[in-house]
Amino acid sequence: MAAEVVMTVEMIKASQMGMKALGAGIAVGLTGIGAGVAEMAIGSAAVGATAENKDMFGLALLFTVIPETIVIFGLVVALLLLFV
Amino acid sequence: MAGLKLVAAPYIYVCTRMRVRKTTLLPREEYMRMLNMNLPEITRLIGETDYKQEIDELGTTFKGIDLIEVALSWNLAKEYQKIQEITPGTLKQFTQAYLRRWDIQNVLTILRGKMQGAKTGKIKEILVPAGSLDKVVLDRLLAEDSLDKIVEMLKGYRMYPQVFIREYPLSKESGSFSRLENELYKQFYAEIIAEAESGIKGGKLFLDFIRLEIDIKNVKTLFRLRADTFEEDARSMHIQGGTLSATDFAALNTVKDQNEFIDILKGKIRQKSIIELLEEMRSEKTIRDVEVRLTRVQLEQMERMSKRNPISIHPILVYLEKKKYEVFNLRALARGKESKLPSERIAEYLVM
Repeated sequence: MAAEVVMTVEMIKASQMGMKALGAGIAVGLTGIGAGVAEMAIGSAAVGATAENKDMFGLALLFTVIPETIVIFGLVVALLLLFV
Repeated sequence: MAGLKLVAAPYIYVCTRMRVRKTTLLPREEYMRMLNMNLPEITRLIGETDYKQEIDELGTTFKGIDLIEVALSWNLAKEYQKIQEITPGTLKQFTQAYLRRWDIQNVLTILRGKMQGAKTGKIKEILVPAGSLDKVVLDRLLAEDSLDKIVEMLKGYRMYPQVFIREYPLSKESGSFSRLENELYKQFYAEIIAEAESGIKGGKLFLDFIRLEIDIKNVKTLFRLRADTFEEDARSMHIQGGTLSATDFAALNTVKDQNEFIDILKGKIRQKSIIELLEEMRSEKTIRDVEVRLTRVQLEQMERMSKRNPISIHPILVYLEKKKYEVFNLRALARGKESKLPSERIAEYLVM
């Protein structure tokens, strides 16, 4: 007969905290990858446009950082998971 | 998927550069302004645009029409070489293949110039070293006085040796290089079609572009043959690879009635934009008008293709073509003004 695993309240709490940390990591990690992929295309086009016309720099930079908002959403979700 | 996207980054970069560069080309209003100017004013205006560097550099050596001619040729060559430098991967391969037509033009200019006894400096002014034969090679060819030696030297380069072996003796004998020119261009198109069909990624889009160009060229040739009273063997003028077959081409050349000719041609061509234009050609028009309209349709269609495929060879080729026509327009304008032609007459020659 297999030995029964007895879990204490502390162990369950620690496990929950671990799961939260894992969720927070995934939220930030995946949104980071998403933003990177989106920025790659926009960034290439922005550099190309700026190389031809220096006046485009400000606008190009603005367009390039727009996908950063996705990471901010991920970060907010992570913070909510960890601290709320 | 991420891997594929990463490969696409340099493609996006180059295609965007070409699209931005296209916006710097002279608009129609500028040409209209230039039509009311004299040659020194046109030179000054060109000197304030992208041609500034060339006009400044050459200003001390050349004057008047020569200055404009040389500055335009230099700028075009510089622009094309720069594009070849920045294009990555298969786009570079296609761009180089597309620009190889300038090798044909340069070699024929040298051969024709030498045959007519033109001065080396004068021939050099109108060369555009944008193809695989660079300035050094062209200088070496120019240094030779004998046509045979020039042709002999070309054997070491990718300049369609079989065509030269077959056609050069006949051209030399007749004193005209027109047949050699036709054959060289036919071989050029056959080779770039083969390259596009060799299974390289993006080849299909390149092929679409080439086919459109061949179609327009064949239609232009048909209209030219109609305008020309001299009966020629039409098949030798036909370029393979488009929607018109050699048989259709030859048959169309025998049709005398304009309406019948347009009806048959409309049935053979698949490009909607060309079909729409052909409808307007029913009334007799000058060959110059027909050619300018066809070129305009070609550029518009190419533009549409580049918008449909923004990350492909299309935006690059559209820019190459539009830049070429800008140079042609400026040259026509300058030459027209030099010859004191009325503005309305010059405007007929411009592709705006």
